[in-house]
Amino acid sequence: MKKILLLVLSVMCFAQMACADIDRTKATAMVENLTKEGIEKIINSTSSQEEKNKVFKQLFTENLDLDFIGKYVLGRYWRTSTVQQRKEFIDLYKEFNVQTWSKRFDEFKGKKFVFNGTGSANNPNQIYVNTSVPVPDGQPIDVKWRVYEHNGKLKIIDIIIENVSLAQTARNEYTSYIAKSPKGVEGLLENLRSKIK
Amino acid sequence: MLNKFSRYVAILTICGLCGCAGTKENCENMPEETSGLESYNRAMFSFNNKVDKYMLRPVAKGYKAVTNEYVRQRVSNFFNNIDEPISAVNHLLQGEFSNSGNNLGRFVINTTFGVVGLFDVASSWGMEKNKTGFDETLASWCVPDGPFLILPIMGPSTPRAATGFVVDGYSSPAYWIAQESGGEDAWLVYYSASGLKYLNLYAENMSMLESLEEGSVDYYEAVKSMYLQNRKKIKTCGVDAVETPDYDFDMDDMDDDY
Repeated sequence: MKKILLLVLSVMCFAQMACADIDRTKATAMVENLTKEGIEKIINSTSSQEEKNKVFKQLFTENLDLDFIGKYVLGRYWRTSTVQQRKEFIDLYKEFNVQTWSKRFDEFKGKKFVFNGTGSANNPNQIYVNTSVPVPDGQPIDVKWRVYEHNGKLKIIDIIIENVSLAQTARNEYTSYIAKSPKGVEGLLENLRSKIK
Repeated sequence: MLNKFSRYVAILTICGLCGCAGTKENCENMPEETSGLESYNRAMFSFNNKVDKYMLRPVAKGYKAVTNEYVRQRVSNFFNNIDEPISAVNHLLQGEFSNSGNNLGRFVINTTFGVVGLFDVASSWGMEKNKTGFDETLASWCVPDGPFLILPIMGPSTPRAATGFVVDGYSSPAYWIAQESGGEDAWLVYYSASGLKYLNLYAENMSMLESLEEGSVDYYEAVKSMYLQNRKKIKTCGVDAVETPDYDFDMDDMDDDY
């Protein structure tokens, strides 16, 4: 009887550990640090565009889990693509995102993030860090950062602006492109290759 | 011309709504976009893009060159203030009485102390903006959104959003002032003001649209996805808006590495 009780308790403890809530304070600090560094080192910095791009690429790839996002974005086509295609897609996706976002620095000039606590996601291993960006015209823009813990490290897996998930948008766009392209995943890779300068 | 166009859109959108009249389930189960509708949407999207590229963008660039951010902000404040009574009426129709009062208070304060709405004094007095329209009113009455539609010139919409847009246009105080005045000059002022309102809005968002297009592999699909996700913020049938997207990141496929 004692053994069974011990076994049940062990299973419960393991389940508790596996579903351990993500540290909300640490997740908030991570996003806070990212936005602070981004504003200081890129947006308000007087360094060259090249230098800014370099810093941005470092911050972007260190804080976002682009491997995870890339897999999600490819959706059902992840399973049907070859190992080589998957690897190339992740690389191109990273590069394309860095290129796209680094052109948008000016849009963030004079903006600041206000931190409004955290919210729960449908997975206990993920949380939302809630922020808002005050704008002169209209209500503040709502920005949520979906953070998860992987191998003991906190990473951002989605950014949701005014209810628009960037990961979900990319997934809808990329899977639609693949479905329509006669070359399938290869067609998408060709398109991404042509866009990366 | 614009009047005729608005009427056409109204008829089109109301027909769209009637098309899915009946049970609520019928509309909710309606396919988001049939292949025929998608072909039309993509063709109209491409047409709008050309209008945008060769007509709107050069005009907006010229407008941006002759105005600074301060001026554009005043223009934006002015038109936001004109729309406050529309929000007040719609908040009433939605049963949101305190929000309606807030809209009226903002209108009075900004029209007087804010110099005909050029300055948003009310916000600094703690009366925050809370814009709404007939689209949100229809949502609160459980009218379904309908399929995704690309309207000529106006761009992404749905039958409900387009109906809201037309009704809001007709209920605008600016429209009624022009209607009461009756003269050709009054209509000229009304249409010029409407044009300025959208030009100002477009100029403010032009660079964002450009970078969105540049960063897309399928611009139409990206715009459609963003538009429909954003619309989930609207409170429907008294149920609070979706706070966060409800998709699940835990796909089985995630186990497959490369």
